[in-house]
Amino acid sequence: MQDHSTTFMPPDADLERIGRRGLIVGIAAAAVLVAGAFATGNQQQFFRSYLTAFTYVLAGGMGCLGFWLVHLLSRGQWGVMIRRILEAGAKTIPLLGILFIPVLFGLHSLYEWSHKDVVAADPILRHKAAYLNETGFLIRGLGYFVLLTGLAFVLTSLSRREDETGDPAVSHRMQAIAGPGLIAYFILLSLAAVDWMMSLTPHWFSTIYGFLYVISMGVTGLGFVILMARWLGPEGKKAVPFQDRHYHDYGKLLFATATIWAYFQASQLIIIWSGNLPEETPWYVTRLHTNWKWITIAVVVLNWALPFFLLLSRDRKRRVTRLAPIAALLMVAHWLDIHWLIAPAFSPSGITFHWLDFVAPVALGGIWFWYFTLQLRKRPVVPVHGPYLKEALEVSHAH
Amino acid sequence: MSTVFDERAIPGVPPRPPILGEGQTPTTLTNQISEMPLSPPLKTPKWWLAGFSVAFGLLTMFLFIVTYLFMTGIGVWGNNVPVGWGWDIVCFVWWIGIGHAGTLISAILLLVRQQWRTSINRFAEAMTLFAVSCAGMYPILHLGRPWVFYWLMPYPNTLGMWPQFRSPLIWDVFAVSTYATISAVFWYVGLVPDLATLRDKAKNKVARVIYAMGALGWRNSARHWSNYEWAYLLLAGLSTPLVLSVHSVVSFDFSVGIIPGWHTTIFPPYFVAGAVFSGFAMVLTLAIPLRVVLKFEDFITLRHLENMAKVMLVTGWIVAYGYGAEIFMAWYSGNEYEMYMVNNRFHGPYAFQYWSLILCNIIIPQAMWLRSVRRSPFWLFIISIIVNVGMWLERFVIIVISLHRDFLPSSWDMYSGTKFDVGTFVGTIGLFLTLMFLFIRFVPVVNMFEMRTLTPQATAKEKAE
Repeated sequence: MQDHSTTFMPPDADLERIGRRGLIVGIAAAAVLVAGAFATGNQQQFFRSYLTAFTYVLAGGMGCLGFWLVHLLSRGQWGVMIRRILEAGAKTIPLLGILFIPVLFGLHSLYEWSHKDVVAADPILRHKAAYLNETGFLIRGLGYFVLLTGLAFVLTSLSRREDETGDPAVSHRMQAIAGPGLIAYFILLSLAAVDWMMSLTPHWFSTIYGFLYVISMGVTGLGFVILMARWLGPEGKKAVPFQDRHYHDYGKLLFATATIWAYFQASQLIIIWSGNLPEETPWYVTRLHTNWKWITIAVVVLNWALPFFLLLSRDRKRRVTRLAPIAALLMVAHWLDIHWLIAPAFSPSGITFHWLDFVAPVALGGIWFWYFTLQLRKRPVVPVHGPYLKEALEVSHAH
Repeated sequence: MSTVFDERAIPGVPPRPPILGEGQTPTTLTNQISEMPLSPPLKTPKWWLAGFSVAFGLLTMFLFIVTYLFMTGIGVWGNNVPVGWGWDIVCFVWWIGIGHAGTLISAILLLVRQQWRTSINRFAEAMTLFAVSCAGMYPILHLGRPWVFYWLMPYPNTLGMWPQFRSPLIWDVFAVSTYATISAVFWYVGLVPDLATLRDKAKNKVARVIYAMGALGWRNSARHWSNYEWAYLLLAGLSTPLVLSVHSVVSFDFSVGIIPGWHTTIFPPYFVAGAVFSGFAMVLTLAIPLRVVLKFEDFITLRHLENMAKVMLVTGWIVAYGYGAEIFMAWYSGNEYEMYMVNNRFHGPYAFQYWSLILCNIIIPQAMWLRSVRRSPFWLFIISIIVNVGMWLERFVIIVISLHRDFLPSSWDMYSGTKFDVGTFVGTIGLFLTLMFLFIRFVPVVNMFEMRTLTPQATAKEKAE
């Protein structure tokens, strides 16, 4: 195996290999998904599984973009070593936009408010029709992807210029864009969460829902980044000289985001449970008073309780071979989290898992991963002329 | 990919702006910081005497008002039906919010390795303690029978009385008292090595004995330092969840109820962000004059002011997100009470307060996007005062606008604070400032031993090793 650690060139052949694998698995799963939809004749289930997979895989792009923006804004050393992973992730947003298209064909299978007769008979939905309507859904969906793709591309082109020239003004420019960018990011994705997920239960509302979805994507995205950092690092392809202190930072960040997720979830539950209002409680009645409650328990244990105690250990955060399994666990757990947010809307009486639910994320995830590797192959694996690289590379046993 | 990267071409760290002013050595900064606590009584600066007199005067007024309040009852305040909570809880939440910056600076910024916290953590923590003391006054004053405040605690008794554990008001008792305790311990632990320095430098015998008692036998041994570092880190870890929990619990005081404008799920993070926003505003309000009168421009530099302004921008935007989410969801919910509440804020009798709040908390702080404003002590001082006002108005808007028109239109009424409400509030400001002046006089305002590690000498030694 070639040692890339002094050139910072991406391990091209390896990336191509795993990317190709992702593509093959993805396409095969996609074929099974489509064939399954036709074979079972269950078009509705296809769209439900697809929506869950789409909103989950979106984390790959959006989670990376979010952390990249935070890094650019705070100029923390922690982000230097993973910046290229974040950038490659952010550059997959246009692909995610394309993967959004099938959802548009499934509106009638997914969203109650897209049926005119239902809306006409329901005064609340009539009121909401100004927002929850097909044209609005389409235009907003387009808007989210165009704006966030634009943001990712402006930043990437600046980043390329930084690589070429090393001009500190470019780095400052990126920081200046990241501030308003982060604000736009939160607003757009919060609205997206309302459109795509919250409106599945069209009467229900919760002001923290946008934050909940964004933080969930943050955990999934960070889990993926940690797995990539392990693969690229000294334990893997030796392309990026990660040190234990870097992994320690990612472990702490993972701990913090997972805990913030739990904090948001707890806040929402306490407030709605205590208020006990008929327009809010149905969402929880489904999830706590049917056999969905077992999934609810699993979601809490896997997304927070278990990783919280595992990540308290300093050693487990510093050694990537021990951190990576926790990151993988959280990625799976957040798939369950998204399923738990979406599926009860379709099956309020009890747990449902269709086999397409498991195929769809593999299909989208595989294709997405291939596209991600293409992006990662294009540039050196660390920002070679970015600020603070030297600081980040320094061998130190501090912290 | 043809370009092969040459490692020698890695640019050095573009100078992160220095944290300290130039030319500071461990000796100069220790001397400068310890000058105030060690100056003899007769050499107390005039500005301190003047400021302390005013603050103590206000505190005395507070004593009169509280005495009158206890003799007469809380009817002297403007509280009425339906507005059963008025200035008292507005000010309670305002003070608790201000108390958030201290622990955020000392705990969270420590954990994320932000060295610039060193110059401001000591007095931000002191500010936290004093602000929480002021906040703690209000629930007790509002009890009507303050002498039975201990009924809030669950303890076995013959009265057959037990607190309602489903009520966030009882969670508040635990959250705030835990917060006050941990903040005090954290502050004191961080003070011990500096008290030892004062003990060693003090010429006056009385001062030496008092500082020696405070220093708990600190002798600068390696073992002391090792224990200290661990204790401090663990306390930081313990304090971090408290930063979130206290104001989340305060937000539950409102949000678990079903009053429109109170009952909304964004409240916990939005209250926490608002608390940090107001806390940093208050740190700026205090730090900007303080660095001038104590001549601490080398320690609390423009970089510190700029960083604090950035934290305010971030938290200010989270607050703005909260306002936006409330308005959007009120409409989206299709719930007539929610929509009426928003409409009442926009156009009702308290619309002036609402729009002033938007002006103070959202519009004016946007000036901090400009680097020139972030680095201008004058403008930051003005903005920090405006944000302090804005955050007070925010609590007023949330509490009074939602309560004054409840579900029963026949009980609708207007509310305004009386002179006793104002007096109580100004009185707590007097308490706060009195404690602050005493702190400035007797304790090093800036952490001396941590600041020494930021001098060039400290890093030179590290590199030599």
